[in-house]
Amino acid sequence: MKSQEPPMEYNQPLTPPVFQVLLSLADGDKHGYAILKDVEEHSGGEVRLNTGTLYAIIKRLLAEGLILEPRNRPRAEDDDQRRRYYRLTPKGREVAASEVERMERLVARARDRKLVRKPRLA
Amino acid sequence: MDSQDKSFSGRAYRLLLRMLPFEFRGDFGGEMEDVFRDQRAEALRRRGAAGLLALWSETILGIFRTAPREHLAILRQDARYALRRMAKEPGYVAIAVIILALGIGANTAIFSVLNAVLARPLPYAHGEKLLQVQQVAPKATISEMQFSVPEMDDYRRRNRTFEELSEYHSMGFTLLGQGDTERVRTGVISAGFFRMFGVTPALGRDFRAADEQSNSPPVLLMSHEYWQRKGSDPGVVGKVFRMNDREHTVIGVLPPMPQYPNENDVFMTTAACPFRSAPRFVSNREGRMMKLFGRLKPGVTPEQAQADLAGIARQLEQEYPEAYPGERGYEVISTTLKDEVTRKARPMLWLLMGAATFVFLIACANVANLTMSRLVRRERELLLRSALGASSSRLFRQLVTESLIVAGLAAVLGVLLASGGMELLRELAARLTPRAREISLDRSAFLFAFAGAALVSIIFGSLAALSSRSDLSRRLKDGGGYVAWRSRRLSLQPVLVICQVAFSFMLLIGAGLLTRSLINLWMVDPGFVRQNVVAANVDLNWARYVTEEDWRNVGARLLERLRSQPELLSAAVSSSFPLDPDAVTYRPWIEQFDADGGPPGVTAAVRIVTPEYFETLGIPILVGRGFEDSDNDSGPLVAVVSLSFARRRWGEENAIGKVISRRGGAEIATIVGVVGDVKEFGLNRDTPDEVYAPVAQHPGHVGAVLVRSAGDPAATIEAVRRAIRDVDPEIAITRVETLNQTSSDSLSLNRMTTHLLSLFAILALVIAVSGVSGMLSLSVSHRVREIAIRRALGASASNVLGLILRQGMIQVLTGIALGWIGAGLLTSALRELLYEVTPTDPLTFWVVSSLLALAGLIACYIPAARAMRIEPHLVLKSE
Repeated sequence: MKSQEPPMEYNQPLTPPVFQVLLSLADGDKHGYAILKDVEEHSGGEVRLNTGTLYAIIKRLLAEGLILEPRNRPRAEDDDQRRRYYRLTPKGREVAASEVERMERLVARARDRKLVRKPRLA
Repeated sequence: MDSQDKSFSGRAYRLLLRMLPFEFRGDFGGEMEDVFRDQRAEALRRRGAAGLLALWSETILGIFRTAPREHLAILRQDARYALRRMAKEPGYVAIAVIILALGIGANTAIFSVLNAVLARPLPYAHGEKLLQVQQVAPKATISEMQFSVPEMDDYRRRNRTFEELSEYHSMGFTLLGQGDTERVRTGVISAGFFRMFGVTPALGRDFRAADEQSNSPPVLLMSHEYWQRKGSDPGVVGKVFRMNDREHTVIGVLPPMPQYPNENDVFMTTAACPFRSAPRFVSNREGRMMKLFGRLKPGVTPEQAQADLAGIARQLEQEYPEAYPGERGYEVISTTLKDEVTRKARPMLWLLMGAATFVFLIACANVANLTMSRLVRRERELLLRSALGASSSRLFRQLVTESLIVAGLAAVLGVLLASGGMELLRELAARLTPRAREISLDRSAFLFAFAGAALVSIIFGSLAALSSRSDLSRRLKDGGGYVAWRSRRLSLQPVLVICQVAFSFMLLIGAGLLTRSLINLWMVDPGFVRQNVVAANVDLNWARYVTEEDWRNVGARLLERLRSQPELLSAAVSSSFPLDPDAVTYRPWIEQFDADGGPPGVTAAVRIVTPEYFETLGIPILVGRGFEDSDNDSGPLVAVVSLSFARRRWGEENAIGKVISRRGGAEIATIVGVVGDVKEFGLNRDTPDEVYAPVAQHPGHVGAVLVRSAGDPAATIEAVRRAIRDVDPEIAITRVETLNQTSSDSLSLNRMTTHLLSLFAILALVIAVSGVSGMLSLSVSHRVREIAIRRALGASASNVLGLILRQGMIQVLTGIALGWIGAGLLTSALRELLYEVTPTDPLTFWVVSSLLALAGLIACYIPAARAMRIEPHLVLKSE
């Protein structure tokens, strides 16, 4: 890896859909449909991807080297032969992590300024 | 991915995917279909039809959002790549851009003119309803005889097709009171004239019917231009000027607009014009001086109006046979104002548009050739990219993008060139149509340039790309196929070269024919000597020179002053002079004469002159004598006629002593001399029959001063000015210049047309010759090996030279032959612009052919000489 520094454009916040895709790949390789479902599930329906937006993101992330198509497929029992799988690259992980740090800084600042609600009782 | 979804939804989704770029579909299309199928299944399972509907709408929206972004991204990528590539070939790019820009620039400029003058509606309200009505007498070769007051009254009263008929004539009057004595061009019109045109004054008010009553106080409207020249005074309304010794009050300023038929400084009503309102003139049916314009009633066609007018003309002929002699073939015709306004400009504009189109076509053919040659050089790169996985449609798009960039640059440069040439074109058009002021490089011209450029780019891009696309993959498998592919592509190139030569041949012929006419016009004998003569138009204040005695005196004093200047060889005073722009444009003085022994009612140009007129202008006295000082008011009336007048009336008979009369016998003059014919109204017009009469017997016609001098023209002009000022500082000198200048100015339109067409032709020649040379160079570089083998097998260097020259010259000569045919078909359209040259003039055709063949030969020689220098052993060793 030549540089651990994320590319310039990632000093900007990632858009929620892009971040969600990176996040979804953080725990292992997934194919398109799995990413779609994972994002929908874990964002609580907040981020909804469709095939157009999803593959535009995938194309961009591939081109920028944040994800890749692994040569070695998942374990046989998990492998759906029709599908193409995507994996987070170290650079992708780095970019996602710095996004998380950015969010943390944001939340910490909000907390300092008492912008956070007290946890409500269930 | 492998099993395509054949369901309706699957097919519909595939259709939707077609909105995405080809590459995108290629990369992800199949997978997207799979994902969408899974999504569909799940949506149906979870929420039934409603879920499916929601999924579809979300998906459609998503693709609609994604597609443009993806296309743009690819375009950006292609453009970046294209710019990088083009930076490596600055020569190619510069040449292609310049050549295309010339073509686009020429077209944009001419298109702007054409659009403003011919296409756009007249800037008057309902301009299509405006007609000009004319009386003509074709058998007496009078193309326009104007109207008299009684005639206009008759047409106004009797017609049933016009809402309004307004009259117009234009005169020069002297304006006093605001500093210098100034002559102003004055339009004399009916009170309803501007209302009829739908023109409302920008300041003040229009004329009212009351302003046209006799005894009404004289009022003026200023043209916008004149008002601006006078300092754009916003308070000008109400100001008083002196004209014709009366106070004239300014009541308004007109908006900027094309003035037809002439440009005027100010306008007055018929009541304010001392000539138009004179009782003797008002009642004279043959005092024809006015033009007539009309606005059609709603629903009336120009044809109906024409029939109506023709009916009235027949009635008038029966009622006043003496005013409309049958042998003159009197007629009344009406033309729409738009046709009338643009009539003179039309043939020339179409000629220039045609020429510009030819230049454009040549430029396109040339750039197409350049592009293809470049593609041949790039084939390795294209093959490599194809091998590395670039789809053929991607390469196609790449090539089209490159062409688009070249064309875009060319369009920008072309528009710059066009705007540079606009002033020249506007000046040219101004000589032909009052609409010239409307010409500007407008939005439609911009669109035209960019549309042209886009069209070109698409054609080139696809031409180049198509030939590569079809063969790329095949050739990859079969490396040896290179040569066959290359030669097939090259077979289009000779065709393009031939086209370039043929089109430039046609342009050169056009330019050649116009140049020959221009030379003929220069060489034409005008019947007078232009050298060393200075002519001044003068305008006397009508109000100060009232009696015949006043006029006689001022003429005599002018001559006396002029003669007292030692450097002036001879001097004359006259009503006008040959090629006088005022007489040609505004009021050629033409009258009917009855000649004894000849047919009655014949027309001739009239000129009132002092005795030295003929000597000053070098007009030869052929028979009899010129005028003498004794030909004055106490002697009998005398006249001098031109040779053609004498010949037409009396053939070979001696004209001296014959009698001519005008005004129905009210004035009878004896002919005392016959002089040579003079080109009065233009070097390219026929010499009119002409009658001269002495100023001493016809005072009141002092309109010009002529002097011959051996000295410096500038000094002579100054001497003339001084002499006129000495006699009366209030005499307005409206123009003073050498007759050489006048004569040259009279040809300026022909000269400008010739120059423009020649410019186009030279451009075309340069482009075509470079095309021939470029094509042949490329061919030589591809035939290096073949030539080397020929040399090795014993062919001499001159054999090789001949081989290459032959290859090039076959194309050049074919182009010339085709151009010959094309020119033969097209040049008849030039007929109107030619003078004493036939459209198929053999000399022009042969000269142009030889010139083009020679240029082609030189163009071929350069690559041929290179081929000659090929060293067989070096080439073959390197193989």
